[in-house]
Amino acid sequence: MSQEPIVSLRGVTKKIGRATIIDNLSFDVPQGEIFGFLGPNGAGKTTTIRMMVGLMSIGEGEIRIKGKNVKSEFEQAIRHVGAIVENPEMYKFLSGYHNLIHFARMIPGISKQRIDEVVSLVKLENRIHDKVGKYSLGMRQRLGVAQALLHKPSLLILDEPTNGLDPAGIRELRDYLRQLTRREGITVIVSSHLLSEMELMCDRVAILNKGKLVDVKLIGDFIGAGDASQTFLIEALPSERALAALSDMEGVGAVHRAPEGLEVTAERDRIPEIVERLVRNDIRIYGVRARQQSLEDRFLEMTGGEQIG
Amino acid sequence: MVNLILNENMKLYRRWRTWIMVGLMIGAVLLGSIVEWYYDTKEAPEGTWQEQLTEENRQYAANLNDPDTEEENKTYIQRQMTVNDYRLAHDIRPESGTMWDGINGSAELVVLITLFTVIVAGDSLAGEFTSGTIKLLLIRPASRLKILLSKYISMLMFGLLLLVILFVVSVMVNGLLYQFQHMGLQLVTVDGQGQIVERNMFANLWQSYLLNGVSTIMFVTMAFMISAAFRSSAMAIGFSIFALFAGTLLTEFIRRYEWSKYVLFANIDLSAYLVGRPYQEGMTLAFSIAVLAAYFIVFNLVSWLVFTRRDVAS
Repeated sequence: MSQEPIVSLRGVTKKIGRATIIDNLSFDVPQGEIFGFLGPNGAGKTTTIRMMVGLMSIGEGEIRIKGKNVKSEFEQAIRHVGAIVENPEMYKFLSGYHNLIHFARMIPGISKQRIDEVVSLVKLENRIHDKVGKYSLGMRQRLGVAQALLHKPSLLILDEPTNGLDPAGIRELRDYLRQLTRREGITVIVSSHLLSEMELMCDRVAILNKGKLVDVKLIGDFIGAGDASQTFLIEALPSERALAALSDMEGVGAVHRAPEGLEVTAERDRIPEIVERLVRNDIRIYGVRARQQSLEDRFLEMTGGEQIG
Repeated sequence: MVNLILNENMKLYRRWRTWIMVGLMIGAVLLGSIVEWYYDTKEAPEGTWQEQLTEENRQYAANLNDPDTEEENKTYIQRQMTVNDYRLAHDIRPESGTMWDGINGSAELVVLITLFTVIVAGDSLAGEFTSGTIKLLLIRPASRLKILLSKYISMLMFGLLLLVILFVVSVMVNGLLYQFQHMGLQLVTVDGQGQIVERNMFANLWQSYLLNGVSTIMFVTMAFMISAAFRSSAMAIGFSIFALFAGTLLTEFIRRYEWSKYVLFANIDLSAYLVGRPYQEGMTLAFSIAVLAAYFIVFNLVSWLVFTRRDVAS
């Protein structure tokens, strides 16, 4: 069961007028992971999500959720999906509780007990009978999560969930999503243009740019990956002499000065030799560390330095 | 489907707006009835109704003999005299000075029902788009057709509720004002052939409610279509209310053209056929019903096509 992808896209294309918004997307989302859609604004993240949940028609190709075609078997396909598309806009003139009743009525088999359960899950017990118009953004976000979880979905889709949340709220959401995937085996799809967020949240990311899929990778591979040679940061004084000492050294790539020290590109094995040479030249060393390439760097590399955010 | 209608009703009746409309409706009936009752009792003519009718008939007879009286008026006068004679012979008093005067007067307030229902219908779909709630509504296992239908049905139920309120309140308040006298009074009119017709007042009242209700349904359906097509509450409500008030006026200007009989507003007032005065010569009740049915189908088809195919992008 866990082998079969929960969502699969095949050749999905969407044109609005003459512009191609989504261009031949094909990939699978494995079960039980937090899967991120990453890309600059206008890359097609939201459009892809809207097509998945039936808010937008699928131009060409097909999307299947749990094996059901979203286009032709919409009601069965969406049955197992909980979603928040952009901000969770609820009926402001209803109480939080009546909002939940409203959405519970639309899916068979949700008991009053389940509603109470979800309310306590998102910790809204004290304010659930207040009108949503009086809620803070964080509370609305939590109510949004509650409505998405009412029917115990196996797939949770969140479009830009951290928009407008303060750091504490983001952290809360992140921990919460982790909990859901670990404890209940829910698959989560999140989209964001905030790389640092995705780095902390996701197991795997799909990178979109200009409506095309750039790559799908495990987050670990993504950051660690790269050539065998790495960049190291060496704090050594005096830096002029250190630079001179290393510039002509064999097996050492580019050396240049950075604000914190020297940036040296070399294979890991060369480190002891580098240190030795510096010591011999009477250069004092305060620290040597590997510089990990961040998701952001990799991302910029892959999308051709496109502006983020 | 039942759940979807429950949802729509919940969204409707848990808003202040809805209850303000209901309040205004009740207020309008109360005010209209009390004002009419006040002047009715204050300026009641002297003598029994038999004496008044006899006097009226005497004047009519004088008018008939007057060579200046126009032909059209003569027919009217003759009809009135027939009715008056019938009343005197069968001892059936006219409605004026009874509770029925006020109740039949309140039936005019059906136009308020149209107004309120159009407001609700215009906002029903467009409002979900404006607030963004449409996104959470459409990602459920319910087809868009069902959602559309549930909204439409809840609109019609709201209109019906207002109609029942109108009926109950106007009968209650006028009944109390006139101590429920003459409740079983019969309506006496002459039909197109000049024959006397005697009808039950309640039946007559509901007949006029339902005939006016037809125009309510047409306007609401139109508002609903605009709401679905343009996603703008203001436009749907504004345009429909404009049509409600200006529609009949516009048809006056185009009456001389043959094709104008196919215009919605030329057919929307079915009660014209009761008094035998269609918009154009030769139009029949069946013709108007057919035209209205065609508009009804087109409006609903447009709502359905637009709403079920639309991409929801913010």
